[in-house]
Amino acid sequence: MSKKENPNIHKTTSPPNMKLVKEFRDPETKEVGFKFIDYWISEDKTLFQTHLHYDQLYTWRMGELSPYALGLLDGKLMGTKCPKCGDVFFPPRVNCWNLNCKLMKTEWVELAQTGRVHTYTVAGWSGRSSLKRLPFVLAYVVLDGVTTAIANEIREIKPWDAEFDMPVKVKWVPKEQRIGAITDFYFVPADRWEPSPMNAEKERIKKLCEPVYEWVKTLK
Amino acid sequence: MTETRKVCIVAGNTSPFDYNNYHMTIEGMAANVMHETMEDLPEFLLRDIDFVIYSHFSVHFGKQLAAEWIIHDHLGLVGIPHFRVENGGNTGGSALYAAYCLVKAGMADVCPVIGWETMDNVSQSQGAEFIALAADTRYELLVGGIYPIFYAAGALKWMKENKMTEEDFALIGMKNRNNAMDNPKAQWYRNEHKYLTVDDVMNSRLIAYPLKKYDCCLMTRGLAIVIVCSEEYAKEVAKDSGYVTIDGVGLSSCTIRAGDRTAFPGWTERYGAGYPDLTEFAACRNAAERAYKRAGIEWKDSHKQIDVAEIHDAFSSSECQIYKALGWADTDTIAEFVRNRETFMGGSIPTNPGGGLMGYGHPVGATGLMSAIECFYQLTGKIPQKHLSKKTEVPDARVGLVNSHAGTGTSISNFILRTAEGGR
Ligand SMILES: [Zn+2]
Repeated sequence: MSKKENPNIHKTTSPPNMKLVKEFRDPETKEVGFKFIDYWISEDKTLFQTHLHYDQLYTWRMGELSPYALGLLDGKLMGTKCPKCGDVFFPPRVNCWNLNCKLMKTEWVELAQTGRVHTYTVAGWSGRSSLKRLPFVLAYVVLDGVTTAIANEIREIKPWDAEFDMPVKVKWVPKEQRIGAITDFYFVPADRWEPSPMNAEKERIKKLCEPVYEWVKTLK
Repeated sequence: MTETRKVCIVAGNTSPFDYNNYHMTIEGMAANVMHETMEDLPEFLLRDIDFVIYSHFSVHFGKQLAAEWIIHDHLGLVGIPHFRVENGGNTGGSALYAAYCLVKAGMADVCPVIGWETMDNVSQSQGAEFIALAADTRYELLVGGIYPIFYAAGALKWMKENKMTEEDFALIGMKNRNNAMDNPKAQWYRNEHKYLTVDDVMNSRLIAYPLKKYDCCLMTRGLAIVIVCSEEYAKEVAKDSGYVTIDGVGLSSCTIRAGDRTAFPGWTERYGAGYPDLTEFAACRNAAERAYKRAGIEWKDSHKQIDVAEIHDAFSSSECQIYKALGWADTDTIAEFVRNRETFMGGSIPTNPGGGLMGYGHPVGATGLMSAIECFYQLTGKIPQKHLSKKTEVPDARVGLVNSHAGTGTSISNFILRTAEGGR
């Protein structure tokens, strides 16, 4: 009995032949498994605590999302488009979100590298991996022609100068430093954009940022 | 749907909520809180338990998978069925929802919900990053985003669209921390321990504009237990101490990435184009509609039909956004609603008299349960016994709302609790 192939099923190379390797591992990165590094006892000798270090590598298999990661290495923003309803997704969705499209497989499309700020914030604190970059502007940007908004940093701007609806463009980290992750690019103000004059709110944000700059200098 | 059997809450307690000062294992906290619960409700026996729902968010904090097995075993409950619910910041609400469903369906009669988080096992910035693993790590986490940043980006646009100000948010940050000063288990009471002014909030350090440190919730070590049961059981053990019925429940969902809320087809169908955007909490509105409908509460002026609310104030801004999503105010009235202090003690709907996440604390898996417990205390006249004074008691409260909230609004539950007849 032959069954007609469902065109909406994702197919990836199987078994894969993961041969083109680029390593950029920091020599400090070690997987040590469980490792206790100390113990502490309270002065009254009633309480005990210890510190456990536990480190591991994860394999992030991008699978059917690989065109997105490969695009980043090439300096291309690859999104997806539903052939039925026309919605365009970035971050990419490989099946349409519209229930009427019945998980229609989307098509990869190269996106414009320009867009507008939908909303934003000026971060003065963040996760451990991002503290040294503070303060920074994190924006949700709708790229031209895209239905959804993508979060990324706006650089080359004074944090208090960011504004709603400002035009931005994509800027890439140097090709040899790209890793196939979203941090391979960031946004910068579009060429024609000029910051608006200082106003009360911008002064307020500037004032809030001052101690953040000072604090970051104290980080090792 | 036939909804005949009533589901009740007969007791609830939390451990002290704290950060770095409270050295207790999860099983030690559970035993302590169970002791307090048995003191409150002498006729409740561990033997009566026929199901346990565990409520715990991140195994990263403990480096322990299935940590509920440690607690269950320690409480001597081996042989009793159990499973754990995990649903981000709405873990507590979702666990309560699961217990409600089990009892409602007749699959259990006495079903404690036990929730905890031990966030002081790692540094604050590491903890923030652990929590942000619930954002889509491939996109949002990597660009430096942690939840306060995602929330702030939504809140800034919301603030402008609703003609709100930083000071309006600060008022809510001040309210909840000051409420917590009447609550001996609250982290703000136990640690920083001071009354705040709006200026204090405004002058606290920048987290992500428009949010400052005192606009944000606390990271916490803590555990909570709520005893959910059938009405029959409630009448048996709690006729003197008082109990509440869970009259309305609602649970709903939204996108994991806030950036995908520009035009989600399901929301466009339900609420029209352009909603919720990155600014409104559609899942909260949807869950409230469901809970209100089940409990017979009208959407219009819903806040006038509810006496007290304990809601998920992860941020002062999100508490305000939640007011709107619960139907208490709209774009035209929200600023006035906040400035009139409608949600302060003595207002039309005192909200977070227990201190909320900003004052009591936010040990994720225990948080929604803490909210339910505080609401239960209000509705059964237990505030004078559980808080330091009557300052944070809503006099004669009989209808309460509990809200639990995850992600950037990705999963949200709402509950309507009512004082049972003769139940206080
Ligand atoms: Zn489609």
